[in-house]
Amino acid sequence: MGPTASPRRRHARKSRPPRARARQLGIDLAGITGTGAGGAITLEDVAGETQPAAVRTPPPRAQPDMRAVIARAMSRSKREIPHYYLSLTCEFQKARTWLERHNESVAIEERLLPSVLLLKAVALGARAMPAFNGYCEAGEFRAAEHVHVGMAIAMRGGRLVAPAILDADAKSVQVVMRELRDLVSRVRSGHMRGSELASPTITVTALAEEGLDLVMPVIYPPQVAIVGFGSILERPWNVDGQVRVAPLVTISLAADHRVTDGHAGARFLAFIRDRLQAPDQL
Amino acid sequence: MNEAELESRVLAILLEVAPDVDPGSLARDVDFRDQFDFDSMDTLNFAIGLHRAFGIEVPETDYRYLAGLGKAVTYVVQALASESPPPTSSRRAV
Repeated sequence: MGPTASPRRRHARKSRPPRARARQLGIDLAGITGTGAGGAITLEDVAGETQPAAVRTPPPRAQPDMRAVIARAMSRSKREIPHYYLSLTCEFQKARTWLERHNESVAIEERLLPSVLLLKAVALGARAMPAFNGYCEAGEFRAAEHVHVGMAIAMRGGRLVAPAILDADAKSVQVVMRELRDLVSRVRSGHMRGSELASPTITVTALAEEGLDLVMPVIYPPQVAIVGFGSILERPWNVDGQVRVAPLVTISLAADHRVTDGHAGARFLAFIRDRLQAPDQL
Repeated sequence: MNEAELESRVLAILLEVAPDVDPGSLARDVDFRDQFDFDSMDTLNFAIGLHRAFGIEVPETDYRYLAGLGKAVTYVVQALASESPPPTSSRRAV
C-alpha cells in the first residue's frame, strides 16, 4: 500500500466528476474528507455531504476508507476476542421444497431467496439464546434487547458491508426479504445510512454462490457471535437409512469464548438447524 | 420494437439492478456472474425488471437463461413470441 493521506493534508485529491458535482450543489470541498484511494474525494463523499444539511461543515466524523475500517475491526477482533468455532451440516430439502412452492404461488416481486430463511432462523436462535446476541465491551457482556441481524453483503470492487435487518426475529420472512432487497439495492447504489451499519447485534454471512463447504467467519466486535452458511450443495446423505443425494448446507458459528462455550454454541447451531427443518414456521 | 431496441432496454434494466456496473466494460456473451459477481439477489431483481418491462413470466427455473446480456435478449425475444400480448396493466413503467 502506498503512503496514506496525512490527516493534516490541506487539499484532498479530487477527481473531476466529484468536483463538478460539488460545484453544482454549492459545497466547499475543503470541508469534505475523501474516502477514495489516497484520500481522493469520491462522488459518494459529495453525495454524503448533501444529506443532513445541519451538519455540513465541519464533517461530524471523517469517513475513513472502507478497507481500513474492515482492517481495524478484524484486527481488533483477532487480537481481543478468543474465538471458538463449531459447524454442523444439515439437510435443506424441506426448506428448498417449501421455497419452490412458495415462489411458484406468489407474484415475482414476492419470491423469497434461501438466505432469508437462513437469516430468520438465526434471528430466532438469537432471541432464544441471548448469550449470542449482544456486545462484549471491556470484557463485560451485555445482552441486547433487540435482535438486529447484520447481513454481510459483498460489494462489487471488493468491499464488504453488513447492514442490519432490525428486529428480524419479529418480522415475517416476507418482510425480511423486502428489507433485504432494499438493503442490497442501496448497497449497490451507494446509499447506505450510517445507522444501519452500526446497529447489528449478531451477524450472518452466507457465501452461497461459489460452492463452498464451510465458512469460518470472524466476529465483528463488539458483537459476540457470527453465523456462517456455506453453499447449498447436492451431496450424499442418509435419508431414512438410505444414502441419497440431498441439498445440504453447513452452518458454522464463531463465538466469543469469554461469553459462551462450545456446549452452548452446539445448542445454538442445533436450534438453527431445527428451525430450517420447519420452514413454514419461520 | 427491433432486437437492438430490445437489447438496449434489457441493458437499461440491468443497470438499474446493478448501478455499480460499468456498461462500457460489459461483454455481451459473458455471464454476469463471471463479469460482475452477480448473485442470486441480482438475478431475482433482473427477472423482476424484465417482468415489469415486458410483461413476461419468468419462472425461477428459467433464471439460467438470464445469465448474460446476449442470453437474456434471446430469452425475452422468445418469451414475447410465445406469449399472447401481455395485458396493459403489467406493462408498468420501471
